[in-house]
Amino acid sequence: MSRTLIGTRIRERRRAKKKSQTGLAQEVGISASYLNLIEHNRRGIAGKTLLAIAKSLEINPRDLTEGADQGLIDKVKEAIAKNRHIPSEVDRLEEFIGRFPGFARLIERLFDLQQEQNQNLQALSDKMNSDPFFAEAIHLMLSNITTIRSTADILQKNPLIEEKLHSKFLSNLLKESERLSQTASGILEHFEQTHSQQDKLADQTTLDTFLESNDFHLDILETGAASPEEIIEELAIETEEQKNALVILKGYETMAKALPLQKFLNKAVQLKFAPLELAAYFKTDLRSIFYRLAHLPEQNNLPKWGLLECDGSGAVLYRKQLTTLSLPRFGSACPLWPIYRSFSQPMQPICALLDMPTGERFLTYAVAQFNDLGTIGVPGTLKASMVITQDYDQLIAKTALTSLPQLSVGLQCSVCPKKECTARRATYILG
Amino acid sequence: MSKSVLIIEDEPFILEALSFLLEREGYALSSFSDGEGCIDYIKKIKPDLIILDMMLPNISGMQILENLRSSQEYQSLPVLMLTAKGQRKDRQAAENAGASLFMTKPFSNDEIIANVHKLLS
Repeated sequence: MSRTLIGTRIRERRRAKKKSQTGLAQEVGISASYLNLIEHNRRGIAGKTLLAIAKSLEINPRDLTEGADQGLIDKVKEAIAKNRHIPSEVDRLEEFIGRFPGFARLIERLFDLQQEQNQNLQALSDKMNSDPFFAEAIHLMLSNITTIRSTADILQKNPLIEEKLHSKFLSNLLKESERLSQTASGILEHFEQTHSQQDKLADQTTLDTFLESNDFHLDILETGAASPEEIIEELAIETEEQKNALVILKGYETMAKALPLQKFLNKAVQLKFAPLELAAYFKTDLRSIFYRLAHLPEQNNLPKWGLLECDGSGAVLYRKQLTTLSLPRFGSACPLWPIYRSFSQPMQPICALLDMPTGERFLTYAVAQFNDLGTIGVPGTLKASMVITQDYDQLIAKTALTSLPQLSVGLQCSVCPKKECTARRATYILG
Repeated sequence: MSKSVLIIEDEPFILEALSFLLEREGYALSSFSDGEGCIDYIKKIKPDLIILDMMLPNISGMQILENLRSSQEYQSLPVLMLTAKGQRKDRQAAENAGASLFMTKPFSNDEIIANVHKLLS
């Protein structure tokens, strides 16, 4: 511990015990001037003198030398650095901590809280940016506001407008205000539900978090620097998660060996990332190509691919989201997505452009493949995979785009404004 | 003869407000509220300008614009794109698809009238 704090504490304790500097110096057998130097942190103190002073001040020597650890000093320094607009007496920091350890702890706690809140805000902001409900609600609110602003402006600037039209615009104004209220209530309700679903979100496994933080590209498996088992051990994955984690990581390892990164990238660039051609070149199945595409490194010149895999019940088995498209983790997505259609035509690849209600467009490839061949009387089980990218303009010539099937789809029914959709199974919550 | 403007917008109240504003400015107005079938309608009425909402039922405004621009006949038809999405990538996507101008909601009446005048001048 810094000697400066010891001197300050001795002085504080001496004053609390109402002893003079001279009296204490005499009791411990040192000169008053030397004690003065110690108390002003100009001389170090240890050994017999420290023990004698502690005894005389009726205090445990440890209370003079411990307590204000370097961690506390560093934390308060960090708080000062992050709040430079408030002039602080940095040169007297150790003295302050020594004299007012309680206040110092309070600053430390408040600073920690501030940091935590900043992180939570960032996480919330990230979540809102990828939340399909919120995006849809904001679009709707902006449309509501456009109507209200435009209509109110017309009424204000046209006082002599004919009565029938005046009443119509007033009625529009009222109805649109009601819709705006409804949208705002919907947002509130959504965030309340989100809060109650936090436990569900906590279901995110350690491996999910690890994959997301590495943008689904694991150099250590690509290069063979670590085995799946070593990663599981390193991440301290809990026993009940280990089996699934091992399946996923072994799948990655197999992919990295069968489709080595650089060799795959060279060919993929040459073939404009066309999955069917890549499958033919590498003599492998489409699902393996999808999996490889979704696990390429994040580089500006490479298209970014999302991946969704589900079983015949529609349950999501694996997903890699895009920053521009939120893929479902628990419920199903829009039933019009090609991934679900692929179950009706196993082994038949589907390529389509998806047009979202938000105006965004994605290129998708989907295929359903058999997990096993089944036996007589028992059909094989299917797994469907779909890759999705918004970077289609890098891959397909503009003239060729119009020849692709274009599907007008949604994200999930609850956030999809499409009217009269025969596939709808849940009410549009902002409707 | 007055210039004709086609508004393709599925929000009925925005459509009514825009119709009022542009008719008052002397334009001949027509409207369509669904993406589906609107290409045929455009070919039929041959408007001088289209105000096109990006988010439409069935076929998106972006898709309509791309279909239009793929035809030689509609390469220079002014299209004013409306959207509630104002991010740079959305603006870029609209420009790439061939939008003449791009406006984000909520816009002001004066602003949209000025842009219509500008595109038709």
